[in-house]
Amino acid sequence: MGGFRRYLLRRLAQAGFVVWCILTIMFLLFKLMPGDPTAIFVDNNFTEDMIQRQRMLWGLNDPWWVQYLRYLRNMLLFDFGHPFFQNESVAEIMLDKVRNTCLMIVPALLVSVVFGTLIGAYAGWTRGSVFERAAVATSLVLHSVPSFFVGILALMVFSYQLRWLPPGGMVPLGGPDTLWGMLASPDYWKHLVLPGLVLVSREITGPILLLRSSMLEVKGSDFLDMLRAKGLGEGRIVVHATRNALLPLVTYVAVMTGILFQGQVLLEIIFAWPGLGRELVQALTHLDFPVAQAALYLMALVTLALNLIADLLYGAIDPRVTYE
Amino acid sequence: MTGPRFLDVLGRNPSAAVGLALICGFVALAVAAPLIAPYGPFEVAFGPDRSVPRLAPPSARNWFGTTNQGMDVFSQLVWGSRVALTVGLLSALGSVVVGTLIGLVSGYFGGWIDDVLMRLTDVAFGIPFLPFALVVIAMAEPSLGLVILLVIFFLWRTTARVIRAQTLSLKERPFVWAARAAGAGHWAILFRHIAPNVLPLSFLYVAVGVQTGVMLEAALSFLGFGDPHAQSWGIMLNAAFRAGAMRTAWWWVLPPGVALSLFVMAIFMVGRAYEEILNPRLRAV
Amino acid sequence: MLALEGLEVRYATRQGEARAVDRVSLALAEGECLGLVGESGCGKSTIARAVMGILPPNGRIAAGRIRFRGQDLATLDPERSRELRGRRMALVPQSAMNAFDPVYTVRAQLDEAILAHGAMAAPARAERIAALFARVGLEIARLDDYPHQFSGGMRQRAMIAMAMALDPDLIVADEPTTGLDVVVQDQILQHIRSLHREQRKTMLLITHDMAVVAENCDRIAVMYGGRAVETGDRAVFERPLHPYTLGLCNAFPDLDDGGRALISIPGAPPDLVTPPAGCRFAPRCPFAENHCSEAEPALLEVEPGRHAACHRLDRIEEFRRRARDPDTWQTERKS
Ligand SMILES: Nc1ncnc2c1ncn2[C@@H]1O[C@H](COP(=O)(O)OP(=O)(O)OP(=O)(O)O)[C@@H](O)[C@H]1O
Ligand code: SF4
Ligand SMILES: [Mg+2]
Repeated sequence: MGGFRRYLLRRLAQAGFVVWCILTIMFLLFKLMPGDPTAIFVDNNFTEDMIQRQRMLWGLNDPWWVQYLRYLRNMLLFDFGHPFFQNESVAEIMLDKVRNTCLMIVPALLVSVVFGTLIGAYAGWTRGSVFERAAVATSLVLHSVPSFFVGILALMVFSYQLRWLPPGGMVPLGGPDTLWGMLASPDYWKHLVLPGLVLVSREITGPILLLRSSMLEVKGSDFLDMLRAKGLGEGRIVVHATRNALLPLVTYVAVMTGILFQGQVLLEIIFAWPGLGRELVQALTHLDFPVAQAALYLMALVTLALNLIADLLYGAIDPRVTYE
Repeated sequence: MTGPRFLDVLGRNPSAAVGLALICGFVALAVAAPLIAPYGPFEVAFGPDRSVPRLAPPSARNWFGTTNQGMDVFSQLVWGSRVALTVGLLSALGSVVVGTLIGLVSGYFGGWIDDVLMRLTDVAFGIPFLPFALVVIAMAEPSLGLVILLVIFFLWRTTARVIRAQTLSLKERPFVWAARAAGAGHWAILFRHIAPNVLPLSFLYVAVGVQTGVMLEAALSFLGFGDPHAQSWGIMLNAAFRAGAMRTAWWWVLPPGVALSLFVMAIFMVGRAYEEILNPRLRAV
Repeated sequence: MLALEGLEVRYATRQGEARAVDRVSLALAEGECLGLVGESGCGKSTIARAVMGILPPNGRIAAGRIRFRGQDLATLDPERSRELRGRRMALVPQSAMNAFDPVYTVRAQLDEAILAHGAMAAPARAERIAALFARVGLEIARLDDYPHQFSGGMRQRAMIAMAMALDPDLIVADEPTTGLDVVVQDQILQHIRSLHREQRKTMLLITHDMAVVAENCDRIAVMYGGRAVETGDRAVFERPLHPYTLGLCNAFPDLDDGGRALISIPGAPPDLVTPPAGCRFAPRCPFAENHCSEAEPALLEVEPGRHAACHRLDRIEEFRRRARDPDTWQTERKS
């Protein structure tokens, strides 16, 4: 296990380096590019004195490297300060938004992975069948259609034309706002159906195509013959084949979750889902930098963490991986 | 990658043939836009009586109807193909060139150069793409050039990794040894002997580049961070979305969305066919 | 005990149906060891798969019977055939390297082989597995390893242990020593031999290696292009009756006095989709005559217990002499 510990340390160091780089890039972006952040909400009624006081408060008069170190410390401690236009701290807002984003992508991911795996494994096992061809063709189309247009179409048809489902939002104003309250609320589920299905329609294609091709690969292996020769029934053999074909899926799902976490911005806007992505867009529109900064940072962190988990998990499930 | 083989692949993949035909169609549309589009990209399609036809449904006058500002949807769609093609091509070329160069240099020279370049790709892989692009565009002035730069910034990493791996294996091949023995310099070996062998592989990433470029432009524009001077499909969708056209004017929403989808799908299908030519093992699968 | 009667196995391929095994009849008595030899691609493994009932999906038994203790395996329903596999007959596969599922431990896979054929309490299974492992000379401590942690030889031993798990009557060993180094090959063959000699298992032993067959088998069948061209006892290699067997013996050292140059048979095995008319060996046979490519020779009993399929059996003495001369095999055949 010594090899594993070294590997883990190396990966953690690597991830730490990447985080530092990203933080630095963000510092440059947010502190240096837009010029003077006070200019945004300073109007003619502000006296020079008030502006200076505000600058002191934000530490904008300190030398750049003091600002930089303070910024690094704050980011690492998840102390994102206060937004320009809201009362809660940014960290509190972020927590809410991250939860809401998860409330959209986690159910969609679960459905995609479970059903995608089953469909893909079956398609690979029954290679050449009508089912396999249909599954592959549908997946390729769904995979290449931009999902935000699918979202718009779904809204037009199911919300505006047929009026089956609410056109956006998560729960009505004044509805439940704890995690369990949400999960127990039928409103949440009703609002989830449309964006959830749109997400599934895209995300399910990955597991289908992946499982199918890795199943095809497994089907060519010698050990399947041996399983038959032992006298195992078809069911057990499919279990063996699927277990082998699942190996690449684990990595894929972790990476896919990371990408989803930063990539569902468009769907959140279209379906007015109060998640992290929508918060980022709104913050940018209002030039509310502390919020935008925190959102971007969290997205990067989650993506990195999931990539790391993907690598570690792969070693855990495939006995052939060694860390020497 | 000879002609007959390409035709052979198209024959076996009707979807790739359809994709290629679609791409040709879009190119024709973009090239001949001034001839095809009855109105300019931001021109109000005044009626015969100088009235502004707001949200008019499709008619013989305005094939795909009009927008809430009385502009001709069909014309905007045609002009939009120019933006899509420009952004797609430039992002693809840029990212493939940058990625290939970095991959070649990294793989060929190895050592600290490789280390530095590969750590750079790690960083590039760690940055969330769309959110980062949003922040950059929000900070600067939205423009097509910036979109293209962003795509290049994000796509070179994939190409670089693949090309690096390929270069690593190529530089051990006998013909490289032979060239070295004959006294060829590093750059000569790299560009005359190795580069031609990795180019077909780099080319695979052109499709990815076009797709990503077009999608990113559409996404940014849709979110309201597009170049306001370029009438793109994303800008059209953004305007339609904000004007609530999803309820009232389907003719304004569908054309840009369908065009975008068809374009991206066509590129994807052709890319797959090309991949199959490169890697015949896929064919059996 | 095992008898193939006019067995014909075909694979569906892009080019058409390949007749990998064509009207082959062989018989194997209780406790006997039959050696099956022939070049790569002549259909040896296909026979093994047909007997085991594990032909790939594109393969089918087009004609003939496989009698195993009175039942016809060719027409047996899948469930009954599954019950026989592993229990009454077991396979030692061609590529032990890849014959274990990489993601389960060796113990789990042996366990599964036992469980597939009825319940046995866990302690009893563990005991049985340990005994099997000990018998093939593997450390019991290695049972919980994954297959990739085993060397090739260890994997093949574990395969033999698995084949013996339920004490089957028939063992089908398909090139059990390919890919192993010579010393390990010997050890594995020792185990195979002891299965046959000491435990009186009936055995179908497939191999390229004539020496192995000559050493271990009571009966020998030589295959060429899907056909059995010569069968008999050990004398097959001492006094071949078929020109192909002559060529095969020439290509192997140490079967006779030694000190002789190895001569390989030029040319390639026949296309199985559209096999050559007449004798399949004719395009490569140095003794072929016009008649050979017109009519197919039948497998005839030449001597008691010896069969061969060649038109020119009458000239075999002359052929044996000429076969020693490398030039015989060099001459291009005029068509
Ligand atoms: N699944 C299959 N589909 C099509 N053709 C097959 C298949 N399996 C085997 N064949 C063909 O059938 C013929 C006999 O194959 P088989 O595996 O029985 O040969 P073999 O005598 O065992 O050869 P080797 O010594 O190389 O193992 C070969 O020509 C082979 O190409
Ligand atoms: S039949 Fe003719 S071709 Fe065939 S082995 Fe005998 S002599 Fe040779
Ligand atoms: Mg074989």
